[in-house]
Amino acid sequence: MTDGEDGGGTTRLGAPRVGVHFDHPDRTYAPQDSLTAAYEVEGVAVADIRAIERSVVWYTEGKGEEDLGVHHFDRLEGAAALRAALPAGSVSLRLPPSPLSYEGVVVKIRWCVRIRLFFAAGRDYVSEHVFDLGDVPPSRGTVERLA
Amino acid sequence: MRLPRFFGKKRGHRRTGSQAWGSAGEAIFYALLVAAALCFAGLLLTGVVGLDPEAVGLPWAGWWLWIFTALIPGALLAFGGAGLVRTLRGWDKSEERRAAAETLAELLEPVGHGSGSPRELPGVPTCDDLVNSPGTILRYRLPIESPESWQLLGIGLFAALWNAVLAVLAVTAGLDLLGGRVEPVLLALLVPFLAVGIGGIVVFVRRLFLTTAVGTTQVEISDHPLLPGANYDVLLAQGGAGAVALLRLTLEMEESAAFRQGTDTRTERVVVWREVVKEWRDVRISPGVRFEAHATITIPRDAMHSFVSEHNAVRWRIVVHGRPERRAPFERMFPLVVHPLPPDIGGGRPEFAWMEERRR
Repeated sequence: MTDGEDGGGTTRLGAPRVGVHFDHPDRTYAPQDSLTAAYEVEGVAVADIRAIERSVVWYTEGKGEEDLGVHHFDRLEGAAALRAALPAGSVSLRLPPSPLSYEGVVVKIRWCVRIRLFFAAGRDYVSEHVFDLGDVPPSRGTVERLA
Repeated sequence: MRLPRFFGKKRGHRRTGSQAWGSAGEAIFYALLVAAALCFAGLLLTGVVGLDPEAVGLPWAGWWLWIFTALIPGALLAFGGAGLVRTLRGWDKSEERRAAAETLAELLEPVGHGSGSPRELPGVPTCDDLVNSPGTILRYRLPIESPESWQLLGIGLFAALWNAVLAVLAVTAGLDLLGGRVEPVLLALLVPFLAVGIGGIVVFVRRLFLTTAVGTTQVEISDHPLLPGANYDVLLAQGGAGAVALLRLTLEMEESAAFRQGTDTRTERVVVWREVVKEWRDVRISPGVRFEAHATITIPRDAMHSFVSEHNAVRWRIVVHGRPERRAPFERMFPLVVHPLPPDIGGGRPEFAWMEERRR
């Protein structure tokens, strides 16, 4: 079972709180920029967590089925690795040249940092923090709908 | 330990409900298919379900009947087994972990990626198929993507299949008549079938005539792939004979999204940006001498690059729309690939001076 919060930061009572701070305060990066995201997990004991996954992904949104691309992924488990990554840690990487963030009519592309916590009890919790890759302006709307 | 819940809350666009129960349900479904396949195969092999070719009225069938019957458990076993393996491999793994494994597999594929490969430009389609044909005047001749050709192929296939069924029915009815038997139901069926068959052939021949009568359209371009902010020379060449009231060259960007609706997979396509590059009116084309004209296209500086994923795409193309005076209008499409601007672009190239200025 997955619980979660989106980049907006809605959090349920009793759920962990994951805060992420980007090194670009406006959360906008140029293609192939380096990105550092520092995260902090609150509201949960480190002993209750059996693994943490830190990923930087893009996904599509809109009318179509969701597609997902993983640019960076690591999974840390075991007491020593978790002690180093919790309750605070950071992810540093060089972003790829594409796909750029895009706000289209039926296709939207979003980039985000995801922190996924796996609890000893078997459940997991994901926190997602959106950022922009590139500065493509939003689509101006539909010109023609094709059959 | 808490049991997973059957139902979860909807949170924005995210999937809801229990992933564990979903995976368990899938695994049970595929396991049942495998079990059914094994039971069926067991019944066949032990002879509990007898397959006597004489009894079913197919004495000539022999082993072919066995092979045909084995297709059912074989298909169940293949479908169920593949689904079971896929479900078990993804068990207790996050979607990022599964996607990361797939990305790794793509990267480990044998080399031979062209420009814009998943390794270099993730999500950007390759343009290998668009740069393998040299142009007569400009660098590349673009391949045509004509919806009319697909419609023609579809109508042709329909006409061929329909008339094949009609021929079988007609031969059966003819043999009956020769044998002195009259099947009124079969004869009554033949009349509407014949009407549809002839109609299919007429529509196909008419479409074929209209499609081929217009003459070929060719588009050549000075460079490929394209970059935002840059200009490209385009050559339009229209063959055929006669007068064309209007020839229009447009540059378009289309978004397409495939989604499931019930058991159907649908695709929504929307043109989100269009620019008329150039128009020519009252064009006279002589047989053997094609109409040729040059134009310049500019990809907007802040344009989205071409993008393709499994269900979603952003595509660029040149569209040639023609309105012949005595024939039906036509539309021919020529796909393009637009790359994102590399961060180090510039290097004194005047068309990218704005990029260097912005960087400063």
